[in-house]
Amino acid sequence: MLRSLIRLRTFAAPYLTTLLLGVLAFLGARVLEALVPLFLARGIDSLASGSYDVLLPVLGITAAVAGRFVVVSYARITVRKVGQNIGFDLRQRLYAQLQLQGSEFFNTYTIGDMMTRAVADIGLVQRLVSMGTILLVILVFAAIVGFSFMMALEPTLTLLILPPLPFVFIYAWYASRKMGVASRDVQDRLSDLGTHVQENLSGIRTIQAMVQEENEVRRFGATNQGYADAFYEQARINSAMGAWMPTLTAISSLIIIGYGGSLVLAGTMSVGVFTAFFFYLAMVVQPFRVAGFMVNLFQRAAVAAERLFEVFDLAPEIVDRPSGNTPRQITGKIDIRDLSYRYPRSAEPALRDITLHIEPGEIIAIMGRVGAGKTTLLKTIVRLLDPPPGTVLIDGHDAREYPLSQLRSQIAMVPQDPFLFAEAIRSNVTYDDPARDADQVWLAAEAADLKQTIEDFPARLETIVGERGVTLSGGQKQRATLARGLIRNAPVLILDDCFSSVDTETEEHILSQLKHLRHGQTTLLVSHRVSTARHADRIVIIDDGRIVEIGSHADLLDSGGYYRELERIQREGATESDYASVGAPG
Amino acid sequence: MKNQSAGAAEGKSVPRRDHAMFDAELSAKALNVQLLRRLLQWIRPYRLTVLVSSVLILIASALQVMLPVVTSIVIIDHLFIGNTDHATPDMGMVDATDWIIATTGFPPLIAACVLYAVLHVAWAVTSHLHRLTLISAVIKGLRDLRLDLFRHLETRPSSFYDRVAVGRIMTRVTNDIEALYELLRGIGTLIGEFVPFFVALVIMLAVDVELTIILLIALPIMGGATMYFRRVTGQLFRLVRQSVSTLNQNLQENLAGLQVVQLSDRQDRNLAQYTRINEGNRSLEIRSMNIETLYGAFTDSMASIALGVIIWYAGGSMVQDQISLGGIILFTRFIDMLFHPVVVLGEQTNILFRAMASGERIFQALDWDERIHEPDQPAALPPRLHGSVEFKHLDFAYTPDIPVLRDVSFTINPGEKLAIVGPTGSGKSTLIRLLGRFYDFDDGQIFLDGIDLNRIHTHDLRSRIGVVLQDFHIFSGTIYENIALGNSSIDRDRAIAAARTVNAHEFISRLPSGYDTVLSERGQNLSQGQRQLLAFARVLAADPEILILDEATASIDTETELLIQDALRKLTHGRTSILIAHRLQTIQEADRVLVLHHGRVKELGTHEELIALRGLYYTLHTLQFQDVSDEELDSLA
Repeated sequence: MLRSLIRLRTFAAPYLTTLLLGVLAFLGARVLEALVPLFLARGIDSLASGSYDVLLPVLGITAAVAGRFVVVSYARITVRKVGQNIGFDLRQRLYAQLQLQGSEFFNTYTIGDMMTRAVADIGLVQRLVSMGTILLVILVFAAIVGFSFMMALEPTLTLLILPPLPFVFIYAWYASRKMGVASRDVQDRLSDLGTHVQENLSGIRTIQAMVQEENEVRRFGATNQGYADAFYEQARINSAMGAWMPTLTAISSLIIIGYGGSLVLAGTMSVGVFTAFFFYLAMVVQPFRVAGFMVNLFQRAAVAAERLFEVFDLAPEIVDRPSGNTPRQITGKIDIRDLSYRYPRSAEPALRDITLHIEPGEIIAIMGRVGAGKTTLLKTIVRLLDPPPGTVLIDGHDAREYPLSQLRSQIAMVPQDPFLFAEAIRSNVTYDDPARDADQVWLAAEAADLKQTIEDFPARLETIVGERGVTLSGGQKQRATLARGLIRNAPVLILDDCFSSVDTETEEHILSQLKHLRHGQTTLLVSHRVSTARHADRIVIIDDGRIVEIGSHADLLDSGGYYRELERIQREGATESDYASVGAPG
Repeated sequence: MKNQSAGAAEGKSVPRRDHAMFDAELSAKALNVQLLRRLLQWIRPYRLTVLVSSVLILIASALQVMLPVVTSIVIIDHLFIGNTDHATPDMGMVDATDWIIATTGFPPLIAACVLYAVLHVAWAVTSHLHRLTLISAVIKGLRDLRLDLFRHLETRPSSFYDRVAVGRIMTRVTNDIEALYELLRGIGTLIGEFVPFFVALVIMLAVDVELTIILLIALPIMGGATMYFRRVTGQLFRLVRQSVSTLNQNLQENLAGLQVVQLSDRQDRNLAQYTRINEGNRSLEIRSMNIETLYGAFTDSMASIALGVIIWYAGGSMVQDQISLGGIILFTRFIDMLFHPVVVLGEQTNILFRAMASGERIFQALDWDERIHEPDQPAALPPRLHGSVEFKHLDFAYTPDIPVLRDVSFTINPGEKLAIVGPTGSGKSTLIRLLGRFYDFDDGQIFLDGIDLNRIHTHDLRSRIGVVLQDFHIFSGTIYENIALGNSSIDRDRAIAAARTVNAHEFISRLPSGYDTVLSERGQNLSQGQRQLLAFARVLAADPEILILDEATASIDTETELLIQDALRKLTHGRTSILIAHRLQTIQEADRVLVLHHGRVKELGTHEELIALRGLYYTLHTLQFQDVSDEELDSLA
């Protein structure tokens, strides 16, 4: 765990000099701060002696305060700024690193997890630098400076008030650990509460339809009580800390009163020094009180740093290593040779010995059950997944030899999930190149049958979609992502089941237009619908990672396999024997 | 056909509501006393606790102030200087010390130590108890408020949920109540700061009026600086919050759409964009931090400056013997008690104003009295309904002038299976929502076994009607609990039998803990098809007389599809069923089909009859009953 804190030094290195200057300034500030009680003591002593000459002490206090104001402001500003800069650098690094990740990464981590790292973990490291440094410096310097001043004034008393301080530290550490656990519990329960309400309200119609309101209120009552209990526990620990900490410190005050008082009565210590000791005690005890918090901060920041380095250490899933002899413009010929693919950490291969030759200009439909391997196959072509060397050839060159950016600009893929950015429709359609002009956007929109939809929006192309804008229907989203793929007019177009929410009529319309627009260019499409597949030159049926049927619509109907069954069910509906075949118990 | 008079006469018509008001940003500018008073209603049940807490804070504050009195007046004036006849008030501490010396025989310094220790422990205990009692009352009060709010929301009608965002409502139950907690805790903190402040002030005035007034001059200066600081940072903090949320949104979106980013080769451009936001955020953060640092250093300095002022004043006034040395030192020990409340007040004002807005939002939600009209004297339903349903000249509109259903009349016989088809927006969902009385209607009638629906209490009605909606809501809990839904008459065997009938038993048995498998609310651990089967099992176990089903449109693989179709046949067997159907199979197996178009019943008959008619149904059939809009259908038909 300490290792990850040490690794942070690479991020601190650029700011080392600044940080050191800031730390030095803190030392200066401490000394100036310690001078104040000293002048106070002198003032009190001159009052006690009846000389009433307080000019020097008053000037001394004023000067020390003014000096401290300047020095401490400089120190804090400097150190906090370093914290901000390190946070900035960590964010940049994380962002750049995440952009290199692929599907394997998303199988391991969730977006929520990454957001926690980006927000909470970087925040913790940032706080470690800006606050941890300050606290560490306070601890060390306050101890050194405070004790030096006290020792110079009255060594025996100083040594006597020391013993209770470790107890303050131990209690503070113990309490802040308990506090950490309690406040995490509160956070967890608050988020439970939020989730409970959110999910309850999103199912409110079912709840009311099933007359479950009272049950739900009772269930919520339990969640609500759990949160209230956790909150009380946290408040209780907090309040106990507020009572115990000063009480433990008061033991040292009693020593000042008892022993210090006897020194004053014996005439070996002045009343001024007696009073100053209370101020020094407060100065010295402060770091002991925050030390527990600081240890906690270091521990949490170490875990946070570890979690960040875990991401920084991830190797990119797809390595861009162009050979340099690939053609700049491809014709769209794809050769897949004995392609087998197994996902890491999966026992069964997702693709088995796939061999498929696609000529430029061909339209290929790929069909099969959910999980048969259709999407996996398509992803290897654009290297969203890395195919084994020599298994995917594009225009006669291994796909792995192309520069990634070129490969993906020559092969446009529209993924299954119609993802739109919360931006204008125009920005979404021209996502690959914002410089594209409006004419191109309209052409693509027309080809994707989205033109009418856009024209119906008052802001037309500038309509913002997503959370803060208009909500598009599933079919509209799919057509918008289709337009984003079409606008690139790439030699190879891959459509991964992107008509599932579009009605058959519209789909037919889009496809027949596409046939015309993309004449001579290669198109691969996945679909569940026979009405879609019949447009293709060839239909490939994949089952359990293998090609089980391949041929034209007519060929496959003749051969009487899976495709013909699918065609019949989709045309006529299922029969008794179909139910029997899926093993539904009667 | 119109039958408005009946509804109007009974006063059933719900007034038009501006739902935009619910989502509008409320912001309180000033201290709203009425709101506070209303909030206190929830604390009222715990007023005894609050009273105890108030007494405790007074005691604790007095004890807190006594501690410096012991170290300065008793020890310095009385013991060190031996100055006993001085006019400096000591609150009886000198007598207390003398009493300890007299009863125990301790040396004077030890007696002072004992007094100090006793006072300190008493202070620690009373202040701890004060905080505990206050917090306990506040937590309980807000817990009750939250539950009341939830209960209120739980019973709002669909017309409410149609128009307001669930996320916004959720923040009222969580964040807004949190803000109220902050508010009440803030008030508690201020009490904890200001009660000792006033107690100290009383003693300081008793010791030396002039010096007290001189020190009080610092308060407006600090108050002014605090206000200025809060104003500047208030705006800056808002900007910082905005930039942080932009920063996070950008990253989140980039991650969510990473595949698209990579396929579009946008990595460099996106990184540049992110860098810009990151830089903007950094400079804002640094600016707000700098101001905060200066303010912190300023308030720290004020306390030390005050020390200098006290010494300087003492130099002049002690000559005239106006104040004792102990009195002077007492003042130095009171500085924090005097200045700290101002800093805390500054901290709390922002919270206070934010909480005011939160309070308004909560009470707005509590006051939102939109509801479904219930009959004054609900009709009693027989133990078992036959299951005949009649719609009679029903007109309905969500918003006036945009009719959704027009003069809908038809009858469903007991045990009949009716499929409703029609383009998107034709009024299919509205039809079944009205049958479940999710909306009030007064124009036309619906009869259930001859009883007017408006005379049946919604709870009675809904326990006789099984509804399966498109978004199958999974209640968090076990599978068994999800089937039984708190109905004690559904035991395990009955639940298993129901699951078996609708083909859900097989997948349930394969789950790690079978029927005891705990599901999360969205049912993420189940597939779409499995969730649908589970919803079927739930309805079958409840055995309602009438079934309403809104068939899911999402494409499911053919095998699961077949399981679902089979389950549906069993579910509807011998039961009056109304199905909004999208699948050819479902429609063909219905006894009759009703075609809705623009809110009117266009065709009604068996599949064969309607095909032979070559009308709307025929067109929809050729389109494979895909989702088409009314307008699209118009252009085709």
